[in-house]
Amino acid sequence: MSEPARTLRLPMVERVLEANDEIADETRDELARRGIFAIDLIGAPGSGKTALLEATLQLLKGRRRPAVLVGDLATRRDGDRLARWCDQVVQISTGEGCHLEANQVRDALRQVDLEGVDLLFIENVGNLICPVGFDLGQTAKVGMFSLTEGDDKAAKHPYLVTAADLLLLNKIDLAPHLSFDRVGFEADVRLLNPRVPMLEVSATSGQGLERWIAWIDRASVARASAARGQALG
Amino acid sequence: MHEFSIAEALAAQVLAHAPAGARVRGIEIVVGALRGLEPDALRTCWDAVTFGTPMAGSTLEVDLRPWSIRCSSCGREWSSPVPFVACLCGNSTPAPVGGDELDLVAITVDEGGT
Ligand SMILES: Nc1nc2c(ncn2[C@@H]2O[C@H](COP(=O)(O)OP(=O)(O)O)[C@@H](O)[C@H]2O)c(=O)[nH]1
Ligand SMILES: [Mg+2]
Ligand SMILES: [Zn+2]
Repeated sequence: MSEPARTLRLPMVERVLEANDEIADETRDELARRGIFAIDLIGAPGSGKTALLEATLQLLKGRRRPAVLVGDLATRRDGDRLARWCDQVVQISTGEGCHLEANQVRDALRQVDLEGVDLLFIENVGNLICPVGFDLGQTAKVGMFSLTEGDDKAAKHPYLVTAADLLLLNKIDLAPHLSFDRVGFEADVRLLNPRVPMLEVSATSGQGLERWIAWIDRASVARASAARGQALG
Repeated sequence: MHEFSIAEALAAQVLAHAPAGARVRGIEIVVGALRGLEPDALRTCWDAVTFGTPMAGSTLEVDLRPWSIRCSSCGREWSSPVPFVACLCGNSTPAPVGGDELDLVAITVDEGGT
């Protein structure tokens, strides 16, 4: 005797990226315990993420103790550029992957001596869409746009704009040469995210970087006192 | 292509939920507007990822949630498949609000056939 198959519909509600998010939460706890402020830097290829980190590491020299994780599809070039300014740089080769995932960050962190580190930069794979949805355990997401990409990119990438804790508009030194509508760009950002701070910077000329550094310092302090409050409460 | 990673995560999740020996016929997910997911791309990845598994040939139903649009001039609220739209009142910049949910909401299986 053969029995007919029964068709069953099993309802449930479960986040698809739950496994990733659980690892990210473990990383976030570990970083918080060590007092490390972690920035996930997301932007298009060529927007200037590595250039910004190179300049940032130089400006922070002697003041903060940073480590850097760099996600890249195939090469080690970004890692090599950054290793000139920081002795704790780990390159994560993602192969085909268009974004970093929490397990890659967790594994890369095992190669860092976190003792004494107080700031972590994660340069995500160059992409304005895919990285946004994957929690890495960061404290803050920083979205980077640049003048050479065109002024419609905020409107075309609403997830990054709404998810970001800070937006950078890089290559501001090129403003005289390009017809980038900064007012229109900012208006698009404000429609999607009325409160996100925005900074115009140039990673290569240094313009605006003091405000970026000030944001990092302020945000780290705010985060640390929030964490203390939580521990007390 | 993040659709591929999402299809992989989804396949692992579905496999964990499907009763042993069951054949998976259908999957239903809900996706917020912010995710920017392409249902067709996701289905292509789903077929590739599930090939040769108990989920092979299953249908992936994607409930893509629209944007909520709110006009600050006249108070109208409506939903739209695209975030930047004008309001009937003439305001060309009503604010779009999207969700970022990405949830598995049901699995349909054939169970116990012999
Ligand atoms: N003019 C100008 N060029 C920049 C700036 N930031 C980066 N670049 C250049 O843009 C190119 C890509 O930069 P890179 O840091 O590799 O971008 P990434 O792919 O986002 O890491 C390089 O040639 C940089 O020198 C900037 O602020 N101004
Ligand atoms: Mg780079
Ligand atoms: Zn209106």
